[in-house]
Amino acid sequence: MNQKKTLRFYITLWLAKLSSIALKILRRNATYFPGKIALTLCPEFMGMLDKPKTIIGVTGTNGKTTTCNMINNILEQNGFDFINNKYGSNIDGGIATTLIQGANFLGKSKKDLAVLEIDERSANKIFPYITPTYLICTNLFRDSLMRNAHTEFISDILNKYIPKETIMIENADDIICSHIAENNKKIYFSIDKLETDTQNCENITRDIRVCPKCLSKLKYEYVRYHHIGKAYCPNCDYKCPENPDYRITNIDLKNMQIKVKSKNEEETYDIVNDNIINIYNMLAVITVLKQLKLTAKQINDSFAKIKIVETRYSEENYKNYKIVTQLAKGMNPIACSIAFNYTRKEPGNKAVIMILDDLHEEANGSENTAWHYDADYEFLNDESIKQIIVAGPRYMDSYIRLLMADINPEKMVHEKDLLQATSKLKLDGIEKIFILHDLYSIEETKQIKQKVKELINEK
Amino acid sequence: MKIEILYPEFCNLNGDMGNVKYLKKCLPEAEFIETAIEEEPAFCTQNDLSLIYMGTLSERSQEIVIKKLMPYKERIEELINMGQVFLFTGNSVEVLGEYIVNEDKSKIEGLGIFNIHAKRDMLHRHNSFFLGKYEDIELIGFKSQFTMLYGDNLQEHFATVEMGIGINKESKLEGIKKKNFIGTYIIGPILILNPKFTLKLLELMGVKEPKLAFEKELEEAYEIRYKKFKELSAKEK
Repeated sequence: MNQKKTLRFYITLWLAKLSSIALKILRRNATYFPGKIALTLCPEFMGMLDKPKTIIGVTGTNGKTTTCNMINNILEQNGFDFINNKYGSNIDGGIATTLIQGANFLGKSKKDLAVLEIDERSANKIFPYITPTYLICTNLFRDSLMRNAHTEFISDILNKYIPKETIMIENADDIICSHIAENNKKIYFSIDKLETDTQNCENITRDIRVCPKCLSKLKYEYVRYHHIGKAYCPNCDYKCPENPDYRITNIDLKNMQIKVKSKNEEETYDIVNDNIINIYNMLAVITVLKQLKLTAKQINDSFAKIKIVETRYSEENYKNYKIVTQLAKGMNPIACSIAFNYTRKEPGNKAVIMILDDLHEEANGSENTAWHYDADYEFLNDESIKQIIVAGPRYMDSYIRLLMADINPEKMVHEKDLLQATSKLKLDGIEKIFILHDLYSIEETKQIKQKVKELINEK
Repeated sequence: MKIEILYPEFCNLNGDMGNVKYLKKCLPEAEFIETAIEEEPAFCTQNDLSLIYMGTLSERSQEIVIKKLMPYKERIEELINMGQVFLFTGNSVEVLGEYIVNEDKSKIEGLGIFNIHAKRDMLHRHNSFFLGKYEDIELIGFKSQFTMLYGDNLQEHFATVEMGIGINKESKLEGIKKKNFIGTYIIGPILILNPKFTLKLLELMGVKEPKLAFEKELEEAYEIRYKKFKELSAKEK
């Protein structure tokens, strides 16, 4: 139910819309500022603005952007008319901007559908005013310790603010995420036991080790990564949900297909990217789009055309080498661990170039590097990784962390200058070069990739 | 040599387990006893522990740990007075204070070993860089916390502050130090960021001719960060 519109609301809306137009004329980014103005002038603005009838929200620690991008692509390709914050921020100002752009001058929504990526930390500023029809929670892990602290903190925010009317779409293999908004209607997705699952956790970080109800040590039927898997408490009823609504029953990496089983049907989809986290993201997408009554064909025809955006993952065959760029979000130990694990498990001999420093933080003085010790650098201590080059302002911190992972110093180059460090790349005996980069080093990644190509040309 | 790690299943936030990992590299022969929440701590019955360590934990976990440690309050006090070496990092020192107060003024009673109390502010996380001095050692590190500590630590502080905050935003005295008990909010992990301090800690623990793992590299990283923090400190002034 919307709050009553006031004169202040209308004036704010018009000013925000005018600022949006002005920014576009000036060819400036209008993805955050108009909403920020609106919320400053009229704090209850989002509550008064009309919203689309159906809102798909996507939250969680990892995979929000990729999941939203896939949903947006599929809906666009199937002719849906909707608003989204693809180009905007996922905090309150960005969400408000998206809604302003999707509303007319009277504050009425011009569209019936919205897809919104919602920052989990900002739930307290968004959910009091927006009730998603469906809210996907991809997973919950520790993230930036400076902003998100720990999973209990984020879970508490989500539990407090998610509207009770929202239908939750949750990862049943994540015992933290699957217990969010306990009393809401739920749709669960899950991936059946995989051959690669283990009995013991290989990761340093597990954000839940003890049953929150009875303090017994949690057990696992199988572990996939970190706390993802089939966890249960041996002494009470706390466990991952059984009988998920959408299950991947088979992952066929040879033919790049998955089988998804729901109530009465089993359908096959083409895999967009073989990283397990992206397979989870695909499953979340399928689950929500099935609620909008899209058919498997409609979804899959679009999957075939989707590529993970280049800032997250790219691969290019260049002469006799494959150059892979992969986002390993600095300050997010889980995203880094997943990237390290993916790198080591890729077939063939590799060299790895790492620039994990948050250059945005560096611009503000320095960076808290404590997160390095929650990330699994040990995964890079692998026979198939022949060389590791670590560069950037805090190259010594990363280098020490790699030494702590028992990686032979003779295998490593550590140097501050990105391109000078890259120039020491040894191409003999390797087939792939992985460039692991932070979200704020996209331009630097391009330069490194170019340097790698020059070295290949010179060979 | 024995080192007890208290409740690693809870006290593992902010990269603090890096301190343990580093101690294992420096002391490959040492026995590390990881005490789980359902177990009786080794310090209850063993008198030959070289170090008792506890890392950063969540707010709910603090309450669980307080309940678990409460029966051992007198033993902990006895050990502190006997000169047992403790290192408590992040908010773990709060469990030994008088109480922790929430935003709604509700209180969680602590063990009451130190005459301090913590105030939580869950909507405003404090993040800062730290530059200060412990004895003649220049310390560097980070702080990232929801709580501030209040009480008089003039006689029992761990370090003086040059840049950043002490136990609260108004304080220039960081942490708690009583005999060989050290409690500090500095994360980093502190032992990897501060080779000279780690050497001092190893000496306190009774290590003869202590030797640091990757000493040269740690020193180099320390110098880079120290220089940077000195610049930032000068700018602040």
